[in-house]
Amino acid sequence: MTSPDLPVRFGGGPPRLTPGELQSVVFPRAPLGRRGFDEDRVRAFLHQVERELAQILAEKAALADETARLRRHLAEGAAGAVTALPAEDAHIQAVRVLSQAQQTADRYVEDAERYSRELAQEARRHRDEILADARARAALVLEEAHQQATGAAAAIASSGEPLPAGERRDLEREIAYLRTFSGVYRSHLKSYLEALLRNVEEWERSEHDAAAAVRAEPPTAGS
Amino acid sequence: MDAQRLKDSFGQVARQGDAVALFFYADLFVRNPHLRDMFPVGMSAQRDRLLAALGRIVSHVDDLPALVPFLQQLGRDHRKFGIVAEHYPQVGASLLATLRYFLGEDWNDDLAEDWNSAYSLVAKVMNDAADDDSLVWPAWWNAQVIGIERRRFDITVLRAVPDRPLPYRPGQSVAVEAPGRLRQWRYYSMANAPRSDQTIDFHVRLIDGGPVSTVLARNVQVGDRLRLGAPVGSLTLDADSPRDVLLVAGSTGLAPLKAIMEEIGQRPVPPRVRLYFGARTADALYDLEDLRKRAAESPWLTVTAAVSDEDPGGAFEHGLLPDVVARAGNWSGHDAYLCGPPDMVEQTADRLLRLGVPGGRIRFETFGGDR
Repeated sequence: MTSPDLPVRFGGGPPRLTPGELQSVVFPRAPLGRRGFDEDRVRAFLHQVERELAQILAEKAALADETARLRRHLAEGAAGAVTALPAEDAHIQAVRVLSQAQQTADRYVEDAERYSRELAQEARRHRDEILADARARAALVLEEAHQQATGAAAAIASSGEPLPAGERRDLEREIAYLRTFSGVYRSHLKSYLEALLRNVEEWERSEHDAAAAVRAEPPTAGS
Repeated sequence: MDAQRLKDSFGQVARQGDAVALFFYADLFVRNPHLRDMFPVGMSAQRDRLLAALGRIVSHVDDLPALVPFLQQLGRDHRKFGIVAEHYPQVGASLLATLRYFLGEDWNDDLAEDWNSAYSLVAKVMNDAADDDSLVWPAWWNAQVIGIERRRFDITVLRAVPDRPLPYRPGQSVAVEAPGRLRQWRYYSMANAPRSDQTIDFHVRLIDGGPVSTVLARNVQVGDRLRLGAPVGSLTLDADSPRDVLLVAGSTGLAPLKAIMEEIGQRPVPPRVRLYFGARTADALYDLEDLRKRAAESPWLTVTAAVSDEDPGGAFEHGLLPDVVARAGNWSGHDAYLCGPPDMVEQTADRLLRLGVPGGRIRFETFGGDR
């Protein structure tokens, strides 16, 4: 005999009624002298069914509320922005991160280019100054040589030596001038050019090192 | 496809400026990471180019006769970057994602349809042109540097030989990729008429801070490899013209005009050619020696050099090229070809027009954007 007041307990709450128990419920006969089932047991069982129904209805209402809440949440999200869907959200996040990384890279490239531009402009200014200086020095060297040679020629002219015809004297004066001029001019120019050459050699060495550095860049895919 | 709707929506998005292109490329690379390698590290210039091209395409979307040739050239130009058919849908997806993102609530199915069909058309025209081109030309030419002449600290004449014939018309240019500066292409004019040994000369001037010109002008060595794109440009000789020719070259703008000069010299009876070569200072007249030699050998050629920023003391003309050319006489019977910095070219063309040279007889090209 199966007793209806011995349902399996599940969870921590009051004993719950199962459909199987309803099917297999058996009431004891009424005590002697009375007909039918034991009234008290039937009443107790009906009471249990009522409680069960009330609890089921309450749970159903709570679930309906929860469903409505989730539906609402979903609808709000979809209408609001693309960020509502988790996958889309992650993609946009990735795009943002990559955009920021690209902007950082762009800034580095820009900085490097600006630095290189400023260096080049500086070098160009230096070069122009050196050239202007060289021209000024050359003019100075010429002028000095010219003066010394003029002096030398004048010395010959004023020397008391007996001189042949005026033509010859002029010629000698001219030769003395040119000799002195070229001597002075050459020695000045030689020392200046040697200094310049040393400069150029130094410059070429650093240039060569820089070129070697460029060449040593790691190869890029597809090159 | 509703052209006005397309233009309006693009106008709305384009107001966000650089952010649009930034989003587009990031979206493209997140979806297709392998495409990142096809672009340079710094992308600022790339983004400007993308927005300019999109703007041009959208503004002409209802003017196909103008749009199609532009798209065809764009398709051919992209071959050297390694762009193939499979890349077009990937780009299209990111373009639509970008528009959708920036249009927000204004994005709808109709717009999606408009943009989808517009992009499909653009991609088809570009890809078809690239396909046709691939039947005739390689995507790029590999070339080897075989000669380097440093004419000044910042001006170099390079001689290169491509790995297969590269037919071009004198006056045209090619995009050049320098060693150590991958994915950065700069246009340089061929400085000679085509030769039987296929060699090509380039005149390179270092632009301060320019990543590519610096390498080409100072670091390239004999044996180095260059990559060259297909020849482009319309600064070419009007071979049917019976008129005499005026060439005005500012600095390395000489390159295409020297090629044209050589082409003229190959004619049985060359017309008279007056070449003006100008620079700021005398030491920047980097090719004058060769030009004078040619003038001495060629009775049809006259070369005049001019410097603007220093007193040449009678050795050359003194002044800016537009002034020097304008005061030299009556050019109304000449065909004029101009190349050099934008100001010089613009002002020379202006002076010639005022001197009575018809606009149709003045052909020109400027440089200055490329570094």
